[in-house]
Amino acid sequence: MKFFQYLLKIDRRIIYIIMGVLVMLPLIRPLGLGVTSGPRAARLFHAVDSIPAGKTLLISVDFDPASMPELYPMLTALMRHAFAKDMKVLLCGLWPTGAGLAIKAATDIPPEYGKKYGEDVVYLGYKPGVDAVILGMGENIKNVYPNDYSGRPLDSLPMMRDVQRLRDIPMVVALSAGDPGYSDWLRYAQSRYGMKVGAGLTAVSAADAYPFLQSGQLTGLLAGMKGAAEYEILVQKNGYSKAYMPAVAAMDSQSLAHVVIMILVIIGNIAYFATRKRRS
Amino acid sequence: MKRNIPLAICLGMGILMMVQFFVPHPISVGFYDLTTKWVRIVSAFAVVLGVGSFVMYHSEKLRRRRAGWLYSIVALVAAAVSTVVGLAWGVKQTGPLQSYIFTPLLVPLNSSMFAILAFYMASAAYRAFRARTRESALLLVAAFVVMIGMVPIGAHVPFFWFLVVMAVALLVAGFVTRSKALLIGTGALVVGLLVWPAFWKFKVPRLMLPDTAEWVLSVPNMAAKRAITFGVALGGIATALKVILGIERGWLGGGKQ
Amino acid sequence: MHVSHSFLTWVAVILTIGIFSFLWKDNPFYKFCEHLFVGVSIGYLIAITWYNGVYPDLVTPLFRQGKPLYIIPLVLGLCFFCRFIPKVSWLIRFPMAFTIGWGMGVAIPATFQTMIIKQIQGTLLTPGIFARWDVLLWAIISFVGVICSVFYFFFSWEHKGALRLASETGIVYLMVGFGASFGYTVMARMSLLIGRLQFILRDWLGVIR
Repeated sequence: MKFFQYLLKIDRRIIYIIMGVLVMLPLIRPLGLGVTSGPRAARLFHAVDSIPAGKTLLISVDFDPASMPELYPMLTALMRHAFAKDMKVLLCGLWPTGAGLAIKAATDIPPEYGKKYGEDVVYLGYKPGVDAVILGMGENIKNVYPNDYSGRPLDSLPMMRDVQRLRDIPMVVALSAGDPGYSDWLRYAQSRYGMKVGAGLTAVSAADAYPFLQSGQLTGLLAGMKGAAEYEILVQKNGYSKAYMPAVAAMDSQSLAHVVIMILVIIGNIAYFATRKRRS
Repeated sequence: MKRNIPLAICLGMGILMMVQFFVPHPISVGFYDLTTKWVRIVSAFAVVLGVGSFVMYHSEKLRRRRAGWLYSIVALVAAAVSTVVGLAWGVKQTGPLQSYIFTPLLVPLNSSMFAILAFYMASAAYRAFRARTRESALLLVAAFVVMIGMVPIGAHVPFFWFLVVMAVALLVAGFVTRSKALLIGTGALVVGLLVWPAFWKFKVPRLMLPDTAEWVLSVPNMAAKRAITFGVALGGIATALKVILGIERGWLGGGKQ
Repeated sequence: MHVSHSFLTWVAVILTIGIFSFLWKDNPFYKFCEHLFVGVSIGYLIAITWYNGVYPDLVTPLFRQGKPLYIIPLVLGLCFFCRFIPKVSWLIRFPMAFTIGWGMGVAIPATFQTMIIKQIQGTLLTPGIFARWDVLLWAIISFVGVICSVFYFFFSWEHKGALRLASETGIVYLMVGFGASFGYTVMARMSLLIGRLQFILRDWLGVIR
């Protein structure tokens, strides 16, 4: 009984240390559990894969550095997929602190495929207004973004000659950490302009997106770091990329962390009920 | 006048934009384009509120030498420096805002703030997550199924063995607490698990934990979240109508004016 | 192991450790990092909003292209500054009325279409579900779940009789839904920690590649 009481009163810092060590170990010595892709990620993959060469994929970077481990690998995997299939990539964003991440991706990824900024990829930048931005893009992208993120006029960018409004774009993938995010793209871009919307979400919001997936409003869903790992694996297995896959590398740690949390909950409950029984 | 004119503007804009959705006439589309542009511009100015409140709070703290006033200097100086750097050199990828402010400061600070939540989650799960009622026990089991099923380790776990682990945990808890009900429930589960292999004779495909997790997410979770979506949407529409019609006036702010 | 020689990487690591030090206990280093974060965020937001929002959308058309109509949103935007002048703080109601009225008007039909009509369409039992026994079963379970969960939130009548049965069934679905959300939340939080550890082990210490 004293043992269970001790368990209940254990210093939280010991739990922190256990957690930290057990999450770190698989990063240094991988467990080799492997990653397989699920049906939702496969649906999004095939939807992007079916976009013809030369067409534009719009990716909305709606996250900040706090969600970088989950959503940045999705962004890079999507861009690699698009470039491998000779698609153009148009980036925009509804979060101001996502701008730095989007421009980083727009700079780092294209050279891997011999792609050039302005011809194969453009980052429009952040624009305040959320619904006003999406609705404005639906009518005329250049009305909303006269220049790209760095101040270059859109008219001077070859890629933007064929992309005037949202209807010229077959699909948007919204990588969202919350609000504003994919729900705004569904509400405004899809309901008004009939746009196909895919989503890459943090795991926190992923469970809430299932109704939209079931109703067909969302064409595929990447949920959290696992979703990012699934897309990375699909991109690699189809021969589109050989780059380092950070989300896949993190999956062993993720697995161990979840098992540890489950064990902690079970032990906590056993100790609680044991001491409660004694007290009653 | 100070309240009625803004209320009239809100009413007018609300009704016009609702009607505009259904009217494809060029005048309607032109009005829509114009107001969309203006809303983007006015929304950009809203940042003034946040910045102003920040400056006022920390200036006041500094002026009155309240506890932690030294840190207010840090906040104000950091804001001033990053504003000057950003406005002077722009937002290019190779500029100092990206290289010296965003990547080495904002990214690690923002990421770390949220990364420590993992530790709090572990501590809270251990100390506070108790299956006191049937509902909370159901929540717990659903959480376990999704937690293990949605990571790679779950792909190696048949649902059968997950049930075995749950049964063992219940058995241990039953012995420790000496609860009859728990032992009876565990016994029933164990009997059920012994019957399960009989299905293997009929070559039923092995049900893996990820399949169960996928089902939990796609069926009961989807149904619950859809109901919540209905509630949120209807509540949102009702609130929007109240704001447009001037029934809800909280946004006007207080005061005699 | 190949420790990074980059000064900025070391700065990032020190700030990371500063934030993590809060796990041990609150300390001046953590408070410094916290206030630095707030300050830097504000400055970054101002710069991004100016270069991506105000300058191309207002300054260029009004002052460089000479379009006088843009004075109206300029005046409305400047009213936000009145918030800090007590005598004229009521002027902030004008830009608020404009943006809130516009936003609410645009949101109502869009929300109705996306979150109600399409969701009802997704809930309805269509002839297609009879193609397979499992699709039929899951569709019925979902349909029952949506109805019962909606009934749980209906508080205008007392939950007794059939309504109570529906409400209690709804609670079961809601608990499973919240459990699933919790499971995913654990994944999200762990991912963020793993991301930071990857940065420390890969970019700083060079232990992993």
